[in-house]
Amino acid sequence: MIEAIIAGLTALLTPQALLFMLIGVVYGLVIGILPGLGGVVAMALLLPFTYGFETAATLALLLGAHIATIWGDSVTSILFSVPGSAKGLALCFDGYPMTQQGQAKRALAASATGALLGGIIGAVFLALCIPLIRPVILALGPSEYLMMALWGLTVIATFSEGSLMKGLTASVLGVLVAFIGMDVVTATPRFTFGSEFLMEGISFPVAMIGLFAVSEMMKLAIKGTPIVDRSLVKEESTVWQGVRDGFSHWWLVVRSSLLGLWIGVLPGVGASVAGLAAYAQAVQTSKTPERFGKGAVEGVIAPDATMGANEGGGLMPTLAFGIPGGESMAILLVAFIGLGVVPGPDMLTKNLDLVFSMVWIIVIANIAVTVIGLGITPWLARLPSLQANLMVPIVLGVCFVGAYATRGYIEDVVVAAVFGILGYLMDKYRYSRANFVIGMVLAVMIERNLHISLTLYGRDFLLERPIALAMLLFVLFTAALPFVRNWRRKRKQAAAAGVAP
Amino acid sequence: MMISRHAQENLASVLLLAFFAGVIWMCQDFGPRARMIPQPLAIFGIVLTLIQMAWHNFGSPAELRMDMISVQAPDIPVAEAQAAPEKKSSWRREAAAYGMIGVLLALTFITGVLPAAFLFTAGYFMVTRYCSWQRSLIYAAVLTASLYLLFVAALQMQPYHGLLAPLFQ
Repeated sequence: MIEAIIAGLTALLTPQALLFMLIGVVYGLVIGILPGLGGVVAMALLLPFTYGFETAATLALLLGAHIATIWGDSVTSILFSVPGSAKGLALCFDGYPMTQQGQAKRALAASATGALLGGIIGAVFLALCIPLIRPVILALGPSEYLMMALWGLTVIATFSEGSLMKGLTASVLGVLVAFIGMDVVTATPRFTFGSEFLMEGISFPVAMIGLFAVSEMMKLAIKGTPIVDRSLVKEESTVWQGVRDGFSHWWLVVRSSLLGLWIGVLPGVGASVAGLAAYAQAVQTSKTPERFGKGAVEGVIAPDATMGANEGGGLMPTLAFGIPGGESMAILLVAFIGLGVVPGPDMLTKNLDLVFSMVWIIVIANIAVTVIGLGITPWLARLPSLQANLMVPIVLGVCFVGAYATRGYIEDVVVAAVFGILGYLMDKYRYSRANFVIGMVLAVMIERNLHISLTLYGRDFLLERPIALAMLLFVLFTAALPFVRNWRRKRKQAAAAGVAP
Repeated sequence: MMISRHAQENLASVLLLAFFAGVIWMCQDFGPRARMIPQPLAIFGIVLTLIQMAWHNFGSPAELRMDMISVQAPDIPVAEAQAAPEKKSSWRREAAAYGMIGVLLALTFITGVLPAAFLFTAGYFMVTRYCSWQRSLIYAAVLTASLYLLFVAALQMQPYHGLLAPLFQ
């Protein structure tokens, strides 16, 4: 194994591999920052350029780009509350308030450090766990995935903004919107009104562009002042503060990384779920949950650490079984085919050096992203103080082009505009946009796994699957936890008010 | 005529009720498996909206609050908040924001995605008097060129040329 670790690193220390990784990282950062385009698009567009080069160099290019998109996504979420893709959504909750409070540098640096530490933890665990994880993955079936998706939905209880009913209504709306299009289980077109375009469903990145980017620009145009008015709120934080935050919250980073690793291992559960789940666990395990959503640095560190580790986790089923852990891993599988690499048990014996090359790529690419990220943070932190009249047309122009570029359909521009207005109205009347998006993310997973569970095990599938039953109990426990905490806090407050003269 | 916030909230709830009712009605055309989740969910949506309406009109809104976190409104010190210039988002500004989205959408359909970005950016700068018309054109051209390089040259996007394109062919 030691030889494989060294051979994996040696394969990367060629000029071609290092150059490719650097190109991938810079390219990934740019793509990550563009709205609507995430790691999947970054890797897909690189595929045609990967043939005919060294295997390690090709993987360095692809994985380097993919890893860089993680932090790229976080940048726009933190600075403008505009997630580059679904993954970056959780960063809006605390990153954006930090920017508004003049702590953009700290937030960006904490985000980069969290992603770096998460990425390294994920890579190390990938190296250690490959032989151990196989029986665990094989023990889980659709019923367990259904429970995991339900657990994701219980996160909604945590994301309540004011009225709980409005929060839940928003999530119901999100789930229903996700059902637009052809139902893959029954081959029934649902809510398509005969439109060929709607048969493919609402594109998730386009909906995100509308709900967050377009609606935020509408708000900015109405307000007429910059996101951060430097005459009122001075940028007082430093990059090193953020770096220190990342290291000082080491236990949160470890917890979030392990969560990201676990979610990455599960096929079909994407990084978007990972970021939200990380945020939820950070809130639920915090002694001061009331600080979250108002600029708590833990709310930035946790999602980034999880998403960093998620990549290492996603590689496990991809390499060991040829089952992609997510969309980006599916593209990596296509690259494997082009390179003549066959995923499966042989990867852990004959091609172990290649596996360790990928582990090293994750580590080195994460370091490169963090170094570049910390270097450009002081400049990035100035962006929110730009005049609203400069920001609005530029961001809207990029958003509309980005919406079109997602699938190449002009109708997607209309979808972005409609969701923009919907997002603005939801924000105005305090229907949580975050809940809406969580509903959209989990809807398909819930429906698909429910159908498969019913087909395989019948109506009493929970009794047939004790792991799923245990998970359901866990879901109920975590769903009740915020309510119990809230009730306790209110009781304490009432008691304190009673004691006070 | 201005509608009160209370009435606006009720209107939003009524629209939601209509939406959920529409979903239930459309679900009747689907098979039992295809409507297994959407139909009960829409019914749940109606129940939630009715509870929200009832509390909004007859109860205390505080009873529906959970406030585990608030995803918005960071704590800016009171003195600073008071020092901020009062810029009320009047209905005129709001209508202008809707109009802005409409104009960009119309331009996109008529001229194509990249020319629309150019025209919209230059026009916005000029209308808001952010800078002189010469500078507006230069900034818009730089943005459009950057978008072209990123999306068309680097990412190989096939640009949409708009409804006017046949006239120039």
